[in-house]
Amino acid sequence: MAINYKETIREVKKSLSRDLSKVKTADDLEQINIKYLGRQGEVNLLFKTLPIKDDSNIGKAINELKDYCKQEITSRLNILLEIKSDPIFDVTVPGIQPPKGSLHLITHAINEIESIFSQLGFVRRRYPEVETDWYYAEGLNIPKGHPARDDQETFYLSKEIVLTAHTSNGQLREMEKVKNPPIKMVNIGKTYRRQADTSHSAMFHQFEGLLIDKNINITHLIGVMDYFAKAYFGNDREIRLRPHHFQFTEPSFEIDISCGLCHGKGIIEKLPCKFCKSGWLELGGSGMVHPNVLKNGGIDPKIFSGFAFGWGVERVLMMKSGLNLPDLRLLYTDDLRFLKQF
Amino acid sequence: MEIKITDNSLRLFLETPVSPEELAQKISLCGPTFDKIDKIDNDYVYDIEIITNRIDTASAQGIARDSAAILNQMGIKSTFKNDPYGEKVENYSNLPKSFSFEFCQDNLSSRFVAVSLENVNIKDSPEETKQLLSLCGLRPINNAVDITNELTILYGMPSHIFDLDKLASQKLTVRESKKGESITTLDNKKNLLQGGDIVIEDGAGRIVDLCGVMGGITAEVDKYTKNILLVVPVYNPNKIRKTSICLQNRSLAAQIYEKQPDLELCLPVLTKAIKLFSERSKARVSSSIFDYYPNPQINKEIILNLDWVNSEIGVEIPNQEVISILESLGFLIKKQGKNEIICTVPSWRYFDINIKEDLIEEIARVYGYFKLPAKLPCVNLLPEQKNILFKTESKIKNYLFNQGFNEVYNSSLISENLITKTELHPAEHLKLENALSKDLEYLRLSLVPSLLQNIKNNQGKSDEPFSLFELSNIYQPTKEKLPLEISNSVFVSTIDYPHLKGTLEALLLHLNIKPFVFQPASNPPTYYQQGYTAEIISDNKVQGFIGQIKPTILHKIGITSNPTVVELNNVILIDSILENFIYQPISEYPEVIEQLTISSNLPLGKIIEKIQSTSKIINKISYTNSYNGNHSFKITFSSPIKNLTQLEVNEIKNRILTLFN
Repeated sequence: MAINYKETIREVKKSLSRDLSKVKTADDLEQINIKYLGRQGEVNLLFKTLPIKDDSNIGKAINELKDYCKQEITSRLNILLEIKSDPIFDVTVPGIQPPKGSLHLITHAINEIESIFSQLGFVRRRYPEVETDWYYAEGLNIPKGHPARDDQETFYLSKEIVLTAHTSNGQLREMEKVKNPPIKMVNIGKTYRRQADTSHSAMFHQFEGLLIDKNINITHLIGVMDYFAKAYFGNDREIRLRPHHFQFTEPSFEIDISCGLCHGKGIIEKLPCKFCKSGWLELGGSGMVHPNVLKNGGIDPKIFSGFAFGWGVERVLMMKSGLNLPDLRLLYTDDLRFLKQF
Repeated sequence: MEIKITDNSLRLFLETPVSPEELAQKISLCGPTFDKIDKIDNDYVYDIEIITNRIDTASAQGIARDSAAILNQMGIKSTFKNDPYGEKVENYSNLPKSFSFEFCQDNLSSRFVAVSLENVNIKDSPEETKQLLSLCGLRPINNAVDITNELTILYGMPSHIFDLDKLASQKLTVRESKKGESITTLDNKKNLLQGGDIVIEDGAGRIVDLCGVMGGITAEVDKYTKNILLVVPVYNPNKIRKTSICLQNRSLAAQIYEKQPDLELCLPVLTKAIKLFSERSKARVSSSIFDYYPNPQINKEIILNLDWVNSEIGVEIPNQEVISILESLGFLIKKQGKNEIICTVPSWRYFDINIKEDLIEEIARVYGYFKLPAKLPCVNLLPEQKNILFKTESKIKNYLFNQGFNEVYNSSLISENLITKTELHPAEHLKLENALSKDLEYLRLSLVPSLLQNIKNNQGKSDEPFSLFELSNIYQPTKEKLPLEISNSVFVSTIDYPHLKGTLEALLLHLNIKPFVFQPASNPPTYYQQGYTAEIISDNKVQGFIGQIKPTILHKIGITSNPTVVELNNVILIDSILENFIYQPISEYPEVIEQLTISSNLPLGKIIEKIQSTSKIINKISYTNSYNGNHSFKITFSSPIKNLTQLEVNEIKNRILTLFN
């Protein structure tokens, strides 16, 4: 029996719109897609019934039906996609965080110090924290009986072995390692001092810079100190040198940095600045390497000169504005409520 | 050291138009640092930080000399006046009194001058003197004692007076104390001496002076005193320092003596004292001047090349300016050739100026450090090899921190108590000879005890789980002089063992370490519980341990949870790290995934090892769970060269199962 294609097409269309009206989800729609447009779907079945001798009009009509179905299903899909299933989705729901880890403030500071000096070509080193008398004192031009060798202020393991109170032993160690200048290093390590109060911890950290080459003079020391101060504390800060004394440098300097709070004026709103001494803060010591120290490191002071500095990591860290740690010893607490803040 | 001087006393020696504030600010840049100025009544008090090697500036006179040089260089016309070294020393002879000092050793004093005075009238000092002393933090006592203190402030040279009639004989002995001797000093404190202190004995076996620190009460000058013995000595600085620190008596005199004042200043100060005694108490000199000076100073000369001066400082300073700076500081300059000068060191800088670099400091600071430009040096360095230890430490820290671990810095010094609690042996640790307290006495041999203590300390304060880590050196004694300082990583957590082990495994993969396995540890460090601890093996070396802590130790420390602890030796670890990545081609053929349950009593590690060993096409073995000795795994098969058939996979599965029959 010949099929009434016109009628059938009308039926399919009706059935489709009935089905579509019941659709609630994209899955439902997919079922409808298969029912009408699938391999065994209604449209394909109609194609299969086409007589061999095709009536081109019928073929065309079925093609139109196919397009119609596609269009209807797509427009229905578009409507469906626009409706979100959860109308009360709360974008402010608290996120589920992984546990909060932290790096220690001293690690943060050491990373920063290392990277600033690395920009200037200083190589990071690590030299002994437990050291012989020679590298720690004698070789650094600190004679026996000098207060720096007092057992009041330095921890001793035996008569000849100390826990370093400064990182300057790295100077001689580096000279011996490199042998022929140029030398450009920064030695970062643990140091120990036999005292403990609000501004001292028995253990602390220092970074020791050393630069030795031909024709190195005081202006180069100022250049490097100034670069570090600006990179670490900010471009608006200035440094100044004041006379000082260390056994292993000559001349020796105390380096000050302008106060970040009063900007070097020493006065805030007509009152003396509480953070600094008349506009300046002490950063640390430095100086031109003493010729005896160069000799002791196997370097000829007639050919080479250099400068060195040894500063406290905790000190520069505490001086960084905004941190507001009341007590240096807080850095050595193990309280997670403190540690997790950084 | 810190000293206090007044503006009035400073201006006794300094003629300058600058205000006290300006003076303080300017001098601080080039000389001693003025920490504070206080205006009190009609005067100003300066708190001045004296640089250790500049004891010559620890007085009004010394500050004035430095200030005049600095201010003139800054273009402010100033003059140094009333130079004590210009004072004429009188020669007293044919006087009735005679006394003597015997020095038992020649290393006690390098100069010692003395004189006796008679007809002393003890009363109060003039108001002016009393005010000066009070402003400088010293208590006015009487006109005689105050003279010695005033002279210390003005000239930086301490002196001492005895009541001559209270001394047993006129033959005094300067000697070292013997251990166990004692002296009651003027502050009424009885000092038990440790031996080796410099003391003066009065001929009757009594110690009358704790030299350089404080006088004894025996020969104290009081209101009845008529005859005085005045001494202006310079003592051995190291001995004074030792005595002063041991007895915790940091008198101004001791602080000056331990830095060795000028030997040539003794006589001028003695002369000044005689003058003041005569003015204020009508006293007369009653003896000739005693002067012990076994090795008079000889001139010290330093040759200076002026071109070298400029190259060391880094700027051109005209020769004449260099010379005038040195002259203003008291150096005598002789020209030698075109560019060389010979500098004679003034007596008050005798111990401090030794080499030409010392002169660079003098020239540069007075010229003005603030005038020197900042220059970055250009240094031709070879590229430095990567330091794999630093890089690895940094990777470990960053990884753990990103996994929610909190970094802690513990002291390298720990207590015997903590060592024994963790069943380590104090005798194997390095011990301080002079610890500050029992808490900080031994150098750590492991970071683990500190981290266990950290867990205990956080209990009840923060919510568990706790996850902490520390990277630091441990200090291992050796037969050599120095210990080995070995970088270690320790991380601990109160989360369960598989999670922490997973973090460790992921960390090791992150570090790109050679293939590693975990084996039950046969001999773990003491604090680990055997049977609950694995060694981490890679490259045939034990890289570290992961395990649980002995319950007895947890109990002793007071830990209520059951933490898992990972300990890694970073130095061994870096030797097993593959520095470069190696590319593995990705298979084009699909994987086959199969579930497999194996019944075995072997440890899971061994089971997985055995499964892996059966075929090269086993790509991945994921452990699912265990139940009653049955362990489930998900096994991924894949071949880089072809599609796998079910037959091939089944054949391998059967081989695996027969392994465990």
